[in-house]
Amino acid sequence: MAKVKRSGSVVKTGKVFPVCNAIFLILLMFVTLYPVLNTVAYSFNDGTDALRGNIGLWPRVFSLESYRSILSDKAVYQAAWISASKTVITTILNLFWTSMLAYVLSRREFLLRKVFTVLFVLTMYVNAGLIPNYLLISKTLGLGNSYLVYIIPTMFSCFNMIVIRTYIQGLPEALVESARIDGAGDLRAFWQIIFPLCKPVLATVALFVAVGSWNSWFDTYLYNGGKKELYTLQYLLKMKLATTQASANAAKATAEALSSSTMTTPVTIRCAITVIATVPILVVYPFLQKYFVTGIALGSVKE
Amino acid sequence: MKKFIAASLALALVVPTLLPVHAFADDAAAAEEPITLTVFRGDPGDQPTEDNKIYQKIKDEFGVSFEFEFLAGDLDEKLGMMIAGEDYPDLFDGGNSADLLIQNGALINLLDYVSPEKTPRLWAHIEPQKARLINKDEDGNDVLYIIPNYGLADGEQIVNQVNGPAFFLQKQVLEWAGYPQVHTLNEYFDLIEGFIAENPTDENGVPYVGFDILCEDWRHFCLINPVQHLMGRPNDGEVLVDVSTDEFHTETFIDKPYAKPYYKKLNEEFQKGLISKDTFVMSYDQYIAQLSSGTVLGMFDQTWDFNDATYALQTAKMYDRTYVALGLVYDPEYVDGKEIEEHYVNGSLPNVNRGFGISVNCECPERIVAMWEEMLSDEWQLLFNWGIEGEDYSIENGRLVMTREQYENTLDNNWIMANKARAFFESSPKKQGWILDGDLAGNCWEPGNQPEIVFDQMNEYDKAFLEKYGYQKFADFVNPPIELAPYGEAWQIDYSPVDVDHQDFLDIQDKYLPELIMTDPDNFDALWDEFVAEITPSATAFSEFMQEAVLAEAHKVLDNQ
Amino acid sequence: MSRVKANAGQVSGGTTKKGFFTRLGKQWQLLLMSVPMVIYVLVFNYSPLWGWITAFQDYKPKLGIAGSKFVGWKNFEWLFGRQDFLQSIRNTLGMSIINLVFGTVSAIVLAILINEVIHTGFKRFVQTVTYLPHFLSMVIVVGMAQNIFASNGPLNQLLLNLHLVKQPVFFLGEGKYFWWLVGVINVWKEVGWNTIIYIAAMTAIDPMLYEAASIDGASRWDKIRYITLPGIKSTFIILLIMNIGHLMEAGFEIQYLLGSSLVMDWSQTIDIFVLKYGISKQQYGVATAAGMFKSVVAIILLFAANAMAKRLDESTLI
Repeated sequence: MAKVKRSGSVVKTGKVFPVCNAIFLILLMFVTLYPVLNTVAYSFNDGTDALRGNIGLWPRVFSLESYRSILSDKAVYQAAWISASKTVITTILNLFWTSMLAYVLSRREFLLRKVFTVLFVLTMYVNAGLIPNYLLISKTLGLGNSYLVYIIPTMFSCFNMIVIRTYIQGLPEALVESARIDGAGDLRAFWQIIFPLCKPVLATVALFVAVGSWNSWFDTYLYNGGKKELYTLQYLLKMKLATTQASANAAKATAEALSSSTMTTPVTIRCAITVIATVPILVVYPFLQKYFVTGIALGSVKE
Repeated sequence: MKKFIAASLALALVVPTLLPVHAFADDAAAAEEPITLTVFRGDPGDQPTEDNKIYQKIKDEFGVSFEFEFLAGDLDEKLGMMIAGEDYPDLFDGGNSADLLIQNGALINLLDYVSPEKTPRLWAHIEPQKARLINKDEDGNDVLYIIPNYGLADGEQIVNQVNGPAFFLQKQVLEWAGYPQVHTLNEYFDLIEGFIAENPTDENGVPYVGFDILCEDWRHFCLINPVQHLMGRPNDGEVLVDVSTDEFHTETFIDKPYAKPYYKKLNEEFQKGLISKDTFVMSYDQYIAQLSSGTVLGMFDQTWDFNDATYALQTAKMYDRTYVALGLVYDPEYVDGKEIEEHYVNGSLPNVNRGFGISVNCECPERIVAMWEEMLSDEWQLLFNWGIEGEDYSIENGRLVMTREQYENTLDNNWIMANKARAFFESSPKKQGWILDGDLAGNCWEPGNQPEIVFDQMNEYDKAFLEKYGYQKFADFVNPPIELAPYGEAWQIDYSPVDVDHQDFLDIQDKYLPELIMTDPDNFDALWDEFVAEITPSATAFSEFMQEAVLAEAHKVLDNQ
Repeated sequence: MSRVKANAGQVSGGTTKKGFFTRLGKQWQLLLMSVPMVIYVLVFNYSPLWGWITAFQDYKPKLGIAGSKFVGWKNFEWLFGRQDFLQSIRNTLGMSIINLVFGTVSAIVLAILINEVIHTGFKRFVQTVTYLPHFLSMVIVVGMAQNIFASNGPLNQLLLNLHLVKQPVFFLGEGKYFWWLVGVINVWKEVGWNTIIYIAAMTAIDPMLYEAASIDGASRWDKIRYITLPGIKSTFIILLIMNIGHLMEAGFEIQYLLGSSLVMDWSQTIDIFVLKYGISKQQYGVATAAGMFKSVVAIILLFAANAMAKRLDESTLI
């Protein structure tokens, strides 16, 4: 209800601004949509023809060859399953731990608040470098060549924790206080009152985590490169692009080798893998978006 | 298991001479056990399909299957981590950084397993080049870590086309000029100038670009390498070696007076508008796009570097916009009246330190070496190179032949994943060149070199074009291969001890050479002097190192003769 | 009210040890909720920091930390003795600041404009379309930018046709344009994505405030100024503090792709320098030293920004 009223409040004040705003946003959409549509156009273009460039919003020589060459590899579906499952698991775990910690660090009375905050915040800025991290995860913890390496090292993100904490701090303090007066402990206050109120920010963070997890290929490259049944979609697609690029100049290392030409070219493959990897995000996006674009009505909760 | 034993028995019966009895006796127990070898390759690649027919054969005959890892990120980074964690696969192809594996003791010495007695075929395979391949370790022992995957070819060197560096010129320019001979820098640019004066744009009104210089990242060899070739040497990377004496005087050429005329010439062409300044900020994709559109008349490059563009032009039937590789040298006026002899194509050389090594973590090195030994048989080499007879190729009157469709299959990645053992075979020891013995003598090991296939691949335009010159093949535009110098090719030398100097040396060239080409002609000499002053320290450090390395390489071969 | 009490409690708590632990014991639920993650970051983020020792070593992966030779400050001396490293620090900071300013301002402006849209469907559509370029790879985006900014590209055509310039501008080949190009491309690619966090923050603003303001006859601008902007201020401040800590990170991909030897002096960032001279030249110690330097500067910047915010009585990160 509050939502409607809020929208209504904007209507009353003149027509010039909404029209200008709409025009501006439409122009902006054109500017941001152009590269996307251009990518789609390339992905549906014949590979060799696309080498010549200058394709606009529509394919010049239509061809499904790029998609065929990628999607005809059965490994893609296995990889998509790995990617999807680890994205879901990572997102859930991450939301759980991150939001809980955000709540704790939003409690001003918590005695270790400052120490813990510094401890967590610094993780964003200190980086030991590749090799020590690799040795820790692969050797000490023995997570190499396993599915768990997608889950455990990505269970927490300080940035997201801070984002949630900031949101919680913006909530009326009275909400938590009232819960505590009711005799609820922090666990219940968090779970029953704060967590549901955080839907918009949780949706935002879920988006960040899910997109990050879905798009990551580096963990596969570092830890699971030798286990093809654990390949993620992004890793596999990246490898396909690299292979296409390498076969374009196959003779690089081997001056004797035959100059091989392929039907697909890096230009179109790159665009096709972008489309293939992005479509699932677009499908899921509206479900998260509705929480942070329209938001929830705080007023109704208070009542 | 029974099936496997039966299969190996059958093999033993059919080709008894191929199996050195003692090799099997040594590890008979191991050979029966089916194993999975982990394999790392330092370049990108596709995983073979589960039902790949060649890998199935390997599994049937040797009990060996493979688990491949290909490179997805940065090679040095990946190898650094593998070394730190000692996470080595069984078979290791370290790509361009295999030296790193050797330095860190990741590979075993293959000479413990390879010898004339134990592995006659492998030995015969490396024997002609053993001086280059076998090194001494710190204790003075002979060591061999990697058997080259390419470059150990039989018979006369096959040069159908220039695969490496050359100055390229669109065929339409030669056609327009009445098929002249082009051998010097001035002749080359005179042709381009003449053509562009008469035809400023193509039929669509797009202006022609006279000369492109790709400078992107490691592809900057298009900018920095030509001078050595203009001076009459094949590709030695960034140094010029005097092969006329046994001292093999080695120097960086870019900072020498004889390099100046080339960039001066480019500066002149820039002033005339033949070179666009966009060429210096162009990405590789843009370069390929420009070549593919057929509007670039000439460039210095290596053939493999623009395969995609050539293919695009052919697909679009713009055959007259494809390129001829020319071996240009300086006109005498630039080098005190001296006539320089052109040598763009070098003698064949082994791909030193490229290919599979066996890691120290591998538990069955004998078995792998025995497998390689067996795989160097004619049967296996035909299987790897040509495929399965009747299915992938046929034999007609003693000639190996493929239909057009069969040949095109061999270029299709998806087909290869199911029908070729590419990932394994590319890094393995293999036969190349001509088949010398047996019923198939006179054929080529590699389908892509088979004369019939090469001819069949050529389009009518090219055939007519060659006829005008009276040539058989495009390699006839340049001189036949020069004899390989004892040191090999200097670009193969591992210069990691002077890595930082080398990087500076490259950076300074990358920065100054485009400026020199674009600068006001009156300013050229002053800027050249500034460039030389700036680059001298790093150039000196690099050439001193290379001088020693070239000598050392040369002596490995000379002292063994 | 309770906030004041709690703070007071914390101050006095430090003085008597027993009292502190007793009170901490009462907060067992908060401890239970946070300690697992404390252990987690100690393991995953802090324990590998022993690797920083290699900044003082001539590290060889084969020998490991135990076996590699100590070289004192040599790696740092080498870094700071190089003109191009100092240059890369300048470039990193320059591009980071431009990115931070452009990125933040554009995201907030767009978030407000989207928030002002009445029609929910259009709002969601705009928001979806503007964030899409985030998913394009940098190679694709830079490839397009290279065509647009080329001497004979559409932008120069436009400038020439409008008689704003006489000669095509060599955008890609002159160092002075480079940082700004990077800024523009980053905004183009990321503005929609960066907006999300501010739009989410706006949902926490009590709609009653807008209603009350409307009743009071506040203009649209007044509502933005007195309700929307204050509503996202703490998010803005917190993100700003965090991003100031990240000023030493300007990335490498866009600079690597867009740069060329002509603009090398302006395009090389710390990360590119480290890629070039670190692991690929087996200078592991140098790579770690550069990373350590970046971390130290980041922490200093972070605390400085945080202290500044505290002084201005704004929300703080820590």
